[in-house]
Amino acid sequence: MAGMSVLRSVAAFAARLSPLKSGNNAANLLTRAIPRTDKVSVRWGHGKRLFVIKPSDYYDRRFLRLLQFYILLTGVPVAIIVTGVNIFIGEAELAEIPEGYEPEHWEYYKHPITRWITRNIYDSPVKDYEKMMAAVQIEKEKADMRLTQLEVRRQMRQQGDGPWFQVPTLNKELIDNSPKSSPDH
Amino acid sequence: MPADYDKGAYPEPPRQTPVVDKQTALPNPALILSKLFYYSVDLPVTTFRDAVDSIRAKNKIVYYHQKFRRVPDLTECKEGDYPCYYEAEMQWRRDYKVDQEIVKVIQERLRACQQREGHSYQQNCAKEIQQFNEVTKNFQSRYGDLGAYASARKCLMKQKERMMAAQAQNA
Repeated sequence: MAGMSVLRSVAAFAARLSPLKSGNNAANLLTRAIPRTDKVSVRWGHGKRLFVIKPSDYYDRRFLRLLQFYILLTGVPVAIIVTGVNIFIGEAELAEIPEGYEPEHWEYYKHPITRWITRNIYDSPVKDYEKMMAAVQIEKEKADMRLTQLEVRRQMRQQGDGPWFQVPTLNKELIDNSPKSSPDH
Repeated sequence: MPADYDKGAYPEPPRQTPVVDKQTALPNPALILSKLFYYSVDLPVTTFRDAVDSIRAKNKIVYYHQKFRRVPDLTECKEGDYPCYYEAEMQWRRDYKVDQEIVKVIQERLRACQQREGHSYQQNCAKEIQQFNEVTKNFQSRYGDLGAYASARKCLMKQKERMMAAQAQNA
């Protein structure tokens, strides 16, 4: 017991010399009670503590974690933008068209995001209409040309005087008629 | 706040709140519940709406109802004039949508009338019922049974069949 107090005082002196070393703080040296490691009180609450054996749920939890992450990666900015637009800009109100004023094509829509999309991304409905009419006109002209071509072919084949059904032959001038002019040569 | 609905087409029924004739000293539970609802639901919602409206009032935008010019019909197009056919087709599609919306409005009016009148709707809503029957009969005779691929040509052919049937009936 006396030796222990000497050791304790020596340990205290060593602690004062090097205070930063672990194990040298006041709590370790000043305790009179010695901690007993064979009898500790373990509290598991109510019920029996069980060691449950189940297969690994690491992969499932990893999948759900990654799913959540990738959904929220674009989901949260979109939600913030849509909420901000709805609160700060708000939907349009119906109004009569003023006299002599031609509204732009995006001014016919209610929600501000729809207006933005039709203004910046889509073509105006008038332009789409004209594009469709141009396509219809081109197809009409193609069909008409094909029909006339068939008709012309039929006529030329029938009459025989059109250039399409004429086969080029040799020039008659090139025929040498001298061996044919005297019989029994 | 958004504009109120047409009070002429959807008239409000006469109010039937009885005169308050309190004969007991006990508190009225209906009054308590209505006050509770007001303070817990109505007031927060209204204040939120007013706050958002005051923020929105700075960036007010309007939208308009588009008016389309009338173009020559399918009957007024020359044969083979496909752009004319296209314009007539688009106009017919717009008119089809407008007619569908008209039928929906008439249906809505009949439904509202029935809800208002309760069990005596057959007698009190005679005007709405007659309007509904007429409108749906006309819609059915013009656009009924055309199917999902309805077009202006098919509608015109249906009209031709109708006229032929009427002529055969008259003759």
